[in-house]
Amino acid sequence: MKTVGELLRSADPLGYESSWSSQQRLAIEERVLASPHAGSRTWLRRTWLTATATLVLIAGIAVAPRFSSSALQAAVRFEVRLAEESPAPDLQPAIILPSGRAIYLHEEAVVTNADIAEANVVRGDSPSTFGVEVTFDAEGAEKMWIATGNHLGKPVAILVDGEIIAAPVVRSPIGDKAYLTGDYSRAEAERLAGGMIGQ
Amino acid sequence: MSDQSVVGAFRAEVRSHQPTERLAALFGAHADRLYRLARRLSPTADDARDLVQETFLRAASALRSMPSDARHEEAWLVRVLVNIQRDEWRKSEVRKRHAGETAPALNQQSNTESELIARTTIWRALDLLSPRRRAVVVMAELEGLSISTIASLLGITAITTRWHLSKGRRDLARVLKARTGEAR
Repeated sequence: MKTVGELLRSADPLGYESSWSSQQRLAIEERVLASPHAGSRTWLRRTWLTATATLVLIAGIAVAPRFSSSALQAAVRFEVRLAEESPAPDLQPAIILPSGRAIYLHEEAVVTNADIAEANVVRGDSPSTFGVEVTFDAEGAEKMWIATGNHLGKPVAILVDGEIIAAPVVRSPIGDKAYLTGDYSRAEAERLAGGMIGQ
Repeated sequence: MSDQSVVGAFRAEVRSHQPTERLAALFGAHADRLYRLARRLSPTADDARDLVQETFLRAASALRSMPSDARHEEAWLVRVLVNIQRDEWRKSEVRKRHAGETAPALNQQSNTESELIARTTIWRALDLLSPRRRAVVVMAELEGLSISTIASLLGITAITTRWHLSKGRRDLARVLKARTGEAR
């Protein structure tokens, strides 16, 4: 009677079939490097334009949420959590602040303040309004990418001081940036950004 | 809708490496290791090559959000590979297909055929495991990695890793015993 490990080792295909050939390896490498995303400058320019267009579009349809005063105090607790539209035993019900819509949060946060590398004030959709651009560090970006990449078509909740300020549906994996837009004054946006990184 | 007022977007800054160069470097550093893992997570070599290609295509579309050091790069790629395999596994009916299989009559075949059937039977039993659990079993039993290394590569805790390994071994032992009369 053999152990599972012994049986697996006896059946391991790498033990009896040849590895991929150099031609097979090269063919895959060429296909990967020829993919649209691998082209450097064109790709970067396109990405920037896409991101900008997305922001403009979103800003145009946003009904600027405003934070409560507690959310704008010096230490701002920031979290991103995966969420679901329907209840389940392990999920925590919550209300999205701006809309009053119910949502169901996963227990663990994907990223928190500890994963933020930078939080900067950016211009909003009009000259007098501002938002905050949150940049995650490498580990935070990786966590966001993995988590949201496996959560497409479902909402992700952004919490500030425990309140859900928004819950956009994930359309594509989110990388190292998130933008908090709304009709904040520069002072509000600066306090929010500073609070996020513990200033 | 105000719910949509926060949006994630990729950073559009130029890093020290141009995307093509970085992608080529990634491929050079990790392709062979990923192929070995992919082959052990796939029923055929063709499937394994497709899996590696898809993993690097995902990497190509997300280079800016990838960690920059080799250790985290590897973990990132391994997780993407396992996630792709998980998506495929969910879509396919592999589990159901193999769950109904009966043990081949090994003693009625020639030695060579018997060995081939035995190997195939054992290997196909792995299809019953979810890709993550299969990855844990493969990494522990065939790659000889420690629990902490597997946990780190897959982004799960050591406790979860041990649980997957224990459950995977038990499930495999049960199936292999039924199909081949071996395994403990």
